[in-house]
Amino acid sequence: MADIRTEEMLMNVGPQHPSTHGVLRVVVKLDGETIIDADPVIGYLHRGTEKLAEDLQYNQIIPYTDRMDYLAAMLNNYALVHAVEEAMDLEIPERAEYLRVIVMELNRIASHLLFIGTYLLDLGAMSPFLYVFQDRERIVQMFNEICGARLTYNYMRIGGVKWDAPPGWIDKVKAFVPHVRKTMGMLDDLVTGNEIFLNRVKGIGAYDADTAIAHSLSGINLRCTGLKWDLRRNRPYSIYDRFDFDIPVGENGDCYDRYILHLKEMEQSLRIVEQACDQIPDGPVMGKAPKFVRPPAGEYFSAIEGARGELGVYFVSDGKDKPYRLKFRRPSFLNLQLLPSLLKGQNMANLIAILGAVDIVLGEVDC
Amino acid sequence: MIAFFSWVHQALTWGTVLKMVAGALIVLFFLLGAVTYMLYFERKVIGWMQLRIGPNRVGPLGLFQSFADILKLLAKEDIVPAEADKPLFLIAPIVAFIPSFAVMAVIPWTASHVFTADIAVALLYYLALSSITIVGIMLGGWASNNKYSLIGGMRSAAQMISYEIPLGMSLLGVILLAGSLNIVDIVEAQRRFMWFVVPQFLGFCVFIVAATAELNRTPFDLPEAESELVAGYHTEYSGFRFAFYMLAEYLYVFAISCLGATLFFGGWSGPLLPGWLWFAIKVTAFIFFFFWLRATMPRIRVDQLMSFSWKFLLPLALVNIVLTSIIKYWVNAG
Amino acid sequence: MFGFVKGLAVTISQLPKKKVTIQYPDVRPEWPERFRGIHELIPERCIVCGQCARICPTSCISLSGTRGEDRKLRLDTFDISFEICILCDLCTEVCPTEAIKMTGEFELAAYSRDELYKNMEWLYDNYIRHDGVRELEAAGEPRAVPEKAGERGE
Repeated sequence: MADIRTEEMLMNVGPQHPSTHGVLRVVVKLDGETIIDADPVIGYLHRGTEKLAEDLQYNQIIPYTDRMDYLAAMLNNYALVHAVEEAMDLEIPERAEYLRVIVMELNRIASHLLFIGTYLLDLGAMSPFLYVFQDRERIVQMFNEICGARLTYNYMRIGGVKWDAPPGWIDKVKAFVPHVRKTMGMLDDLVTGNEIFLNRVKGIGAYDADTAIAHSLSGINLRCTGLKWDLRRNRPYSIYDRFDFDIPVGENGDCYDRYILHLKEMEQSLRIVEQACDQIPDGPVMGKAPKFVRPPAGEYFSAIEGARGELGVYFVSDGKDKPYRLKFRRPSFLNLQLLPSLLKGQNMANLIAILGAVDIVLGEVDC
Repeated sequence: MIAFFSWVHQALTWGTVLKMVAGALIVLFFLLGAVTYMLYFERKVIGWMQLRIGPNRVGPLGLFQSFADILKLLAKEDIVPAEADKPLFLIAPIVAFIPSFAVMAVIPWTASHVFTADIAVALLYYLALSSITIVGIMLGGWASNNKYSLIGGMRSAAQMISYEIPLGMSLLGVILLAGSLNIVDIVEAQRRFMWFVVPQFLGFCVFIVAATAELNRTPFDLPEAESELVAGYHTEYSGFRFAFYMLAEYLYVFAISCLGATLFFGGWSGPLLPGWLWFAIKVTAFIFFFFWLRATMPRIRVDQLMSFSWKFLLPLALVNIVLTSIIKYWVNAG
Repeated sequence: MFGFVKGLAVTISQLPKKKVTIQYPDVRPEWPERFRGIHELIPERCIVCGQCARICPTSCISLSGTRGEDRKLRLDTFDISFEICILCDLCTEVCPTEAIKMTGEFELAAYSRDELYKNMEWLYDNYIRHDGVRELEAAGEPRAVPEKAGERGE
């Protein structure tokens, strides 16, 4: 009995698989249902955005950023225009800044809602996905009203935003906030108390702050370890220093903390939206920006707190209207780095729980 | 009509054989219809719970949707993977499917035993036949020569075997109280005494959990966990062989609901309404409960599933049996 | 213990609520004013400045014009390839005469790639079907509206 010959099994999860969130492929080596080795393969959605950008004017790159993290396109828009504006030292009208903050935080809520929905779908619960989609749909409809698109917004411009809010839009946003709170309460009842769910996520895929920093994780993947690091607070950009909000952090760095942080961050985003809606002044939405944007020659880097972590834009300008080199620091890509070491020794069923909690968007991973 | 089909108490002649076959065929077609509308009911109920409207395009209110689906499955090409173990692959869905129909033979639809067999060891027969399906599922997973199917099949075998024991144990309490394995006797005992869900509440809880697991339904739907294993053991199946697996799965939902209604809720017995209607209401309530669970629960993890069965459910069922025996002895002695 | 009972209560409380499904082909979604759908083109307004073709990030617009007798440029051809158009709205943003605008039309499914190559006539018909209906009626100039997309000028 002692020398039963066992074999390891190489299994391909993805790129066409129901829960790899797009076209991620994970090659897992299995011993029974235990993962011995996992190797993520990326690049199936690579479109060469960074290379394409070298041939485009700065304003033309904005629609391309929509397609990176397509669940939080407003934040991507902002990352790019913010980097260029900083490089050129442009003055942004107050109203434009407020509108930007409102749409960015709404987009963060939409993205987090989708995370919760898809994560629970991965864990086998079907209904929360459809419940969160109703609120996300309302956000998307509001974006549709303000910029004419539901997913690829192309809303921000260097120097401001493209459109002012249509009449009544701000009130609509204000009226929407309690709806999200209601949905969050419902999610709490439906999911957060569920024993099966808790058993599946508590203590799974845990890591400490040092590991997170060593793998340059950011966003919720970093804050779940207890480290209070949010660029909106630590390196305030835009007008975030004017709002009163907290940075929720986790304790154990496990999947449960990552799930619950998404809920808590939505609450903070709602607070920002409420304050911004109250404070928003009247005025122009587009500042004095030159028709051809030509940042002075040099290297620039600026980062914002994206929906998935630190979203950085690095570019080299040679004084022309097109960047010499443009590089995005995509949080999803960097957050994915920890996956192989997290998966080792885990059960096959935990693969989904861990991968889902990292909250990757393949458009951003492959860029 | 009833006298015509009551072949149980007649001598075995060609005439009675014909009656048997006719009765079986009627039950078969009735069950096919019931399963078809169960599919429709499931999709509607889950749709409503998720604020959708469910199927609504084929026929009025989408009533013919399931027929369209089944027709589509029957018309599809029967694909056998090149590397599959062909004979096993072909026979597996049939092995899984036949017992699911056979177990329906002992379900008493009404007080008068029309169409069905009034056998003395009905419960034993049910448990024995329903475990044959596991073989079909495991064979299917193995013969597909697909890694997802293999894991799905193995999970399924492990799960169904471990949950069959608490399921059987939970029924023991009922058997002890009724003093018979015959389902008709059990119903009669409940009519005299009370619905067994009251004295056997613990047993009922074990039964409903074990039954859900036995049916591979949410939250115990690991064998076909689509977010992990694509479609589990039937990943490689298409056309009518896939339809066989689906039919078997839904027939078992129906069968377990019938069993639950009979053993714990008094079967056809009830005031005012005719027996078959009472039975239908109780069965529908059970089926609705399974769908309701499916709309709510996330999926349990495979290792937790096993430990839950062996470390929690089985001891609970044993405690239930001991308690039932003590109480029964005490009542009889007193 | 029994946190899942709360979950069961949530799902069953949704049962009688109003459903949110829009039965799409029968009921069309209502798009807001700013919706960025397929383009429409008014050739008379175009001054062939070529800004739209230059700003287009995917270079999906190609146009050509000739100088007429009155020294003004007139549009001869104007093609948009909707295979690569990303509906980003930059072309309508730069257009000085509002010759190219966007409509609420969003259905682009086609049986072949060639059908996605829309020319000037098609885009003008699209204008007639959308904004044109209102504008021409306001100008007292009723005109037969083409029934289906792609009826003229494939």
